[in-house]
Amino acid sequence: MASINDIANEFIREEIEEYLERPDEIERFIEMFSQASSAMQDISAALIDGDHHTVDELTEEALGNGTEALEIMDDGLIIGMGIVGIKFRENFIFVPEVLACARAMKAGMAHIEPILSDSGIEPVGTVIMGTVKGDLHDIGKNLCIMMLRGAGFVVHDLGVDTSEDEFIEAVEEYEAPILGMSALLTTTMPNMGKTIDAFIDEDLREEVKIMVGGAPVTQTFADDMGADGYGKDALECVSLAKQFLEEPDEEW
Amino acid sequence: MKKIDKSEYEKRLNKITEIFEDLVTHADEQATYRCPYKNRFDHCTAQFGCRNQRKIDEGTGLLCVGDDKLDYRDAWETDASDDTGLLDIKTNGTITCDGKTYQLSPGKTVFDYADDLAVQVPTSCIRTGQCHECIVEIKQGMEHLRPPNDAESFLRDNYRLACQSVVLDIDTHIEFTPLRRSPRILTQIGTVGEKTDTSQSLNPLVTQKDGIVYYDSEPVDRFRGHIYGLALDIGTTTVVANLVDLENGETVSVSSFENPQRFGGSDIMHRISYDGEFEGELRKSLIAALNSQIMEMCETHDFVRQEIYEIVVAGNTTMRDIFFRQDVQSIGQKPYKSVIEHEYLEGMRSTTSLTEKARRIGIRSNPKALVYSLPLIASHVGADVAADLVSIDMQSQEDIVMLVDVGTNTEVVVGNSERMVSASCPAGPAFEGGGIEYGMPAYPGAIESVIWNDGKLEYETIDGKEPQGLCGSGLISLLAEMLRNDQMSPKGVFANRKQRILELFPEHGITFSRDDASNLAQAKAANYCGQYIVLRHFECSPQDISKLYLAGGFANYVNIRDAIDIGFLAPVPEERIVKIGNAAVGGAKEVLLSREKRIEIENFVKKIEHIELETTSDFFDVFVEGCQFKPMPTDIA
Repeated sequence: MASINDIANEFIREEIEEYLERPDEIERFIEMFSQASSAMQDISAALIDGDHHTVDELTEEALGNGTEALEIMDDGLIIGMGIVGIKFRENFIFVPEVLACARAMKAGMAHIEPILSDSGIEPVGTVIMGTVKGDLHDIGKNLCIMMLRGAGFVVHDLGVDTSEDEFIEAVEEYEAPILGMSALLTTTMPNMGKTIDAFIDEDLREEVKIMVGGAPVTQTFADDMGADGYGKDALECVSLAKQFLEEPDEEW
Repeated sequence: MKKIDKSEYEKRLNKITEIFEDLVTHADEQATYRCPYKNRFDHCTAQFGCRNQRKIDEGTGLLCVGDDKLDYRDAWETDASDDTGLLDIKTNGTITCDGKTYQLSPGKTVFDYADDLAVQVPTSCIRTGQCHECIVEIKQGMEHLRPPNDAESFLRDNYRLACQSVVLDIDTHIEFTPLRRSPRILTQIGTVGEKTDTSQSLNPLVTQKDGIVYYDSEPVDRFRGHIYGLALDIGTTTVVANLVDLENGETVSVSSFENPQRFGGSDIMHRISYDGEFEGELRKSLIAALNSQIMEMCETHDFVRQEIYEIVVAGNTTMRDIFFRQDVQSIGQKPYKSVIEHEYLEGMRSTTSLTEKARRIGIRSNPKALVYSLPLIASHVGADVAADLVSIDMQSQEDIVMLVDVGTNTEVVVGNSERMVSASCPAGPAFEGGGIEYGMPAYPGAIESVIWNDGKLEYETIDGKEPQGLCGSGLISLLAEMLRNDQMSPKGVFANRKQRILELFPEHGITFSRDDASNLAQAKAANYCGQYIVLRHFECSPQDISKLYLAGGFANYVNIRDAIDIGFLAPVPEERIVKIGNAAVGGAKEVLLSREKRIEIENFVKKIEHIELETTSDFFDVFVEGCQFKPMPTDIA
């Protein structure tokens, strides 16, 4: 059985000692990390630290040195994210830290994407995401993006305070079949409807499936403004996006 | 570059999705009590203004000073830089809650004012009218609020959702009260730090060994520092929750709050019909109140809710079954039996006790925690009486004893370990202040006793506060004093026969009317019938009772002599009457600490005979007799 000292990376050793408490989890992570190369441990450490620049550099370097993409995913990215999940579960870190780690993971995955397309693996689909005009709340939207990317979607994030034109331009530019809009305020929620109307005005409404979400939004509200779907949380966001792709002609 | 195998890649995606799903689920849960924009250092990461942001140093960002106690999301809507402006308009209108007052200003909801007044109102939907948790009672000024909308269609009378009630007229006076209030008097019952003396019986289901917590023999968690359990008595009017340390049997915290379900009616029958019409609303409001209570306990006693591993519930049949998501409609109709009791009688279950995951019920405790409820006795005689019986150790009683648990429904049991007879009497909420003009629950400012002195009434209030009304013990004291001093006849007629309303304390505007007396007479009669008919059925008289255990929150403060004189209580010799306070929560605690007691009570209740008062042939005669304010006969058998 491996021991903590079989793990080369000091940061990882400290993380395990400080944050893992369940004996079964400690054993599992020591086992996994001790079998990972030190280069992979370094990627994990940077990911857990939420440092996307370092993950970006190290992943590029590792691929250049001939490390396999799947190994990077397994021993660098996923394993690190596993630690992040436990730290979050136990309230050692909070949503902002988790999102930083997710961004670091994305930085690593960005280098793997070209290999995927070389291997003939296409993304599940492309989604445009943004918070509507006048609204600066982004956490719900960011969690949705994290889930979508994790499920294999390519997501173009337009950020917060997104105007109708910005949504339209992005859908056209990326030929995205799905658009997700978020609003957190009752005062900005109507801007979702306005954006949908703008798509109709531009004669683009048929080209894209539109899903909406955010705390004040309800199914009724979504129906009233003519959205194709409503997701109450990030999990529903992914299943909606998948449904849109499966039955593109179905009325939602 | 080596190509990637598609199925291998998909396996990784699934793994990632699995991790992310856990993250998102936890994020959702955490967002109900902590602002998601706040990082591990309590710094704000939001890109927008929020009134909880404070500058720390140049360059290091913003500190969040929100305590997350009131709804943090409301703070987002206010731009921190724009603190003046609209709100400065001066008006003469005010809004009051719990004796605190605030000035009215345009466009605000009752919930906004609750924030201003630092009154806690539960919510979990950012005030959009969806969660139905922020119910408040509008005591004054209902007509000055925006009329109820669709989201409030489940509410009647003066109950509103605080988040939907915009105050339209700001030159008036509004008074409201949240549904979850704590009657002070009850929290004095049961002492913190009290240990269960039966050290040999300390045998809880949850234990820890070598840093692992076990439920029975199954490991459920790592040891976090405490193993706590919750003993809960859900009354129609009051909920009592005791936090118990399962390692030493000590009571860590005693708390109680008003059952927030009163928007669905004040007695059991109304609640049942309400639950039939608006399924789940009652349960939701109670769970929200309970979860707030748990969070308060966590804060006061410095532990995390994950350290609560088991919850034992007592409560009357209807309250218990609403809590457990059971259909309660059959309890409201003859033969007044719950679905669970029907299933038990048909042999489909071996006991009427229930066990369910706390998570499924919606209680925020350890994710693996279980909720156990004591068995029912029969019909309305529920798990609360089973808990009382544990508490008075009925199993070892050789002489004949009597248990009277006074509440919105009063329950009576007479017997010994061999034979027992039980009944339930629907007394209604009159003695808890319901339907009495100046009646009120036992809050500070309630008159708890009166004395007729020299042609004048003198009073004492809880905490010596300015009198606002009379609580149950005060009402009983008033009736007894008026009888003794010939100010009122046994039929509730005042000395001046034509007078319908007495100015009791004119300086405080407190009155007492014949209608009040008549409502109390009927509530008293229900108590009387229960005790009289059960005693008679058992062929025994009050003087044959070796001990009368008087249970129930307010009964603890009742003057025994007064209660006997007006016929509220059977005339058992006073020295044999023992007040046992909230015995149900005590019994629930004992069961929490002992797995044997659980099995014992489940078997023991099967022996208890139950009588339905209404089907007694002379019920009506007994009831009419009971409506008079005079002692019950000492000889019944």
